[in-house]
Amino acid sequence: MTEILTPNKLIVRIAWALLLLLAVMFVCSLIGTERISLKAVFAGDEAGSAVNPDYEIFVRVRIPRIVLGAIVGAALACSGVVFQALLRNPLADPYILGISSGAGLGAMIAVLVGLNSAVFGRSPIAVFAFAGAMGTVWLVWFIGRLTGKFHLTGLLLAGVVVNAFFSAVIMFLTSVARSDEVYGTMFWLMGNMAEEDFLVVWTAGGCVAAGIAALFYLGPQLNALSFGEDDARSIGVNTGRTRTTAFAIAAFMTAIAVSISGLVGFVGLIVPHAVRLVLGPDHRQLLPLSAIFGAIFLVAADTLARIVVAPAQLPVGVVTAIAGGPFFLLLLVRYSKKVGWSK
Amino acid sequence: MRQWLLLLLLIFCWMAAGFAFFDGAETRESAGAALPKDVQRIVSLAPNLTEILFALGLDEQIAGVTIFSDYPPAAMKKRKIGSFWQPNIEAVIAAKPDLVVTLEFPQQKEAARRLRRLGCNCLTVNIEKVGDLFEAIDRIAEATGKDAEAAELASNLRSRLDVLSASAAKYERAKVLWVIAREPLRVAGRDTFVNELIELAGGENAIGRTVHKYPPIGSEQVIASAPDVIIEPAMGSKTVSEQQKEALRYWSRFKNVPAVANGRIYVISPDTVCRLGPRLHQGVETVARCLRPQLFAD
Repeated sequence: MTEILTPNKLIVRIAWALLLLLAVMFVCSLIGTERISLKAVFAGDEAGSAVNPDYEIFVRVRIPRIVLGAIVGAALACSGVVFQALLRNPLADPYILGISSGAGLGAMIAVLVGLNSAVFGRSPIAVFAFAGAMGTVWLVWFIGRLTGKFHLTGLLLAGVVVNAFFSAVIMFLTSVARSDEVYGTMFWLMGNMAEEDFLVVWTAGGCVAAGIAALFYLGPQLNALSFGEDDARSIGVNTGRTRTTAFAIAAFMTAIAVSISGLVGFVGLIVPHAVRLVLGPDHRQLLPLSAIFGAIFLVAADTLARIVVAPAQLPVGVVTAIAGGPFFLLLLVRYSKKVGWSK
Repeated sequence: MRQWLLLLLLIFCWMAAGFAFFDGAETRESAGAALPKDVQRIVSLAPNLTEILFALGLDEQIAGVTIFSDYPPAAMKKRKIGSFWQPNIEAVIAAKPDLVVTLEFPQQKEAARRLRRLGCNCLTVNIEKVGDLFEAIDRIAEATGKDAEAAELASNLRSRLDVLSASAAKYERAKVLWVIAREPLRVAGRDTFVNELIELAGGENAIGRTVHKYPPIGSEQVIASAPDVIIEPAMGSKTVSEQQKEALRYWSRFKNVPAVANGRIYVISPDTVCRLGPRLHQGVETVARCLRPQLFAD
């Protein structure tokens, strides 16, 4: 691609993408298994005598869920970009270094131990999943460091093996668990959205927005890093610090996403690639646009999950994989020539 | 470095603002539960809870049930609010319930937590064993002001169970292997309500104590347990007769097991034996028919 990214172009593109996101969120908030009227919603909390179900559904169920979907989608897509850049591996996604199985193990332990008390309005499953995810990332990072400073192969292998090991532990726990309660966590492992307190939405949104901002600031360094360690160092990038910071932020964002929605697959893999294919690989553009398109993708997928098998619901991870796969292949075939892979 | 500190400071302020705005103001759980006489719209999140509600004569008040609530037939005409595993919170709220009854399963407890947060009045009951059933009936009756009906329902159920177990007491206890799934083989263990069902019907679980509630077992244990009767509740969309044929084919590999040798393999309809509800006596009778077919020949 010969196109040059100018600040103006970037701002215009981000503005359009944000507009699209808002439009999608608005439309999705009107879609659901229950028909609600906006007029009834604006009548307020306690219109007339009793509780106003339209208001309850719109403000306390749909809006938080849609905003959370956007937050999770943005976090996953953005950390997907970072992992692909840092590991210089197109197959990398936010879960590649064991976050998924670590979080899964945490969730399963919370169910098996039968904890009940909530922390800051979050269920123990969410808290344990967050802790499991962060713990696993630290473990993989630590083992990776033992194999050599920023040795990519060592880090990747450590991630894959820790992932496989924890998955095996999860399967072991499932098969020795006394009752069938653990089958409930299967839904969690498939990725599942639910509405939460406004406080949860607020804090998660703040953390993810800050993470995206920080990564955007690291964009130029990430650009340099994707040409290779030595090239980056030769133009004055502190590669060690950039790597550690970007890695920590991406892992933190993924852990937050996982603690909200379980393991939603595919978003972190295909959204960054799709944006890269269509708009180019510059990280200053890739990071914010991936975040926004990740949000759009997950909000749309979650809306499908809410209505396809109504009145029941699908796990959103199923929808992201089924709807995202073919769409991505289409993009791949259409744009790969333009990018110049076929030379 | 300065930018990072600024960012940290910003996040900190954002969080503090969040806690200041939303913490505490959010919970509406304190809103008192509706008094029993005021309970006019009830939503049930499990098929056996639906059956209990109907048995207590709450037909009119039931405002929503799960997709698989198919008994009594009137339940199928009620508004559907999602499945047992994935209740649809939107649909529950749209049903405007003043009481939501849930089981104590993790998924159901989570649904109850979410509903309470939205100001719904939830009753969570535990129905894992026969004893729990009577307790649950009492608690639901208490919350809906149907104490008299509950007492009648419970004594009715108890007396029917007594009749069945009295008739069973005269006979030797047959050893029963209760098959949950065939491939891989998974059976009901001792610590289950199925075990109670078998014992009420005058049988004995062929499987001894196990770690699992529903242990997966191998061929060795099938032969060692030497069951006199094998019972399979029909699964999925297959009809009973289809599954009976498959079952005979599958079990024919264990020729020396008494149940197979004597052709005592029964596939039964799962309705009453997989759901612990007010039709418990029918379930016990279904099992008793398998154990002593000669008695029920007429």
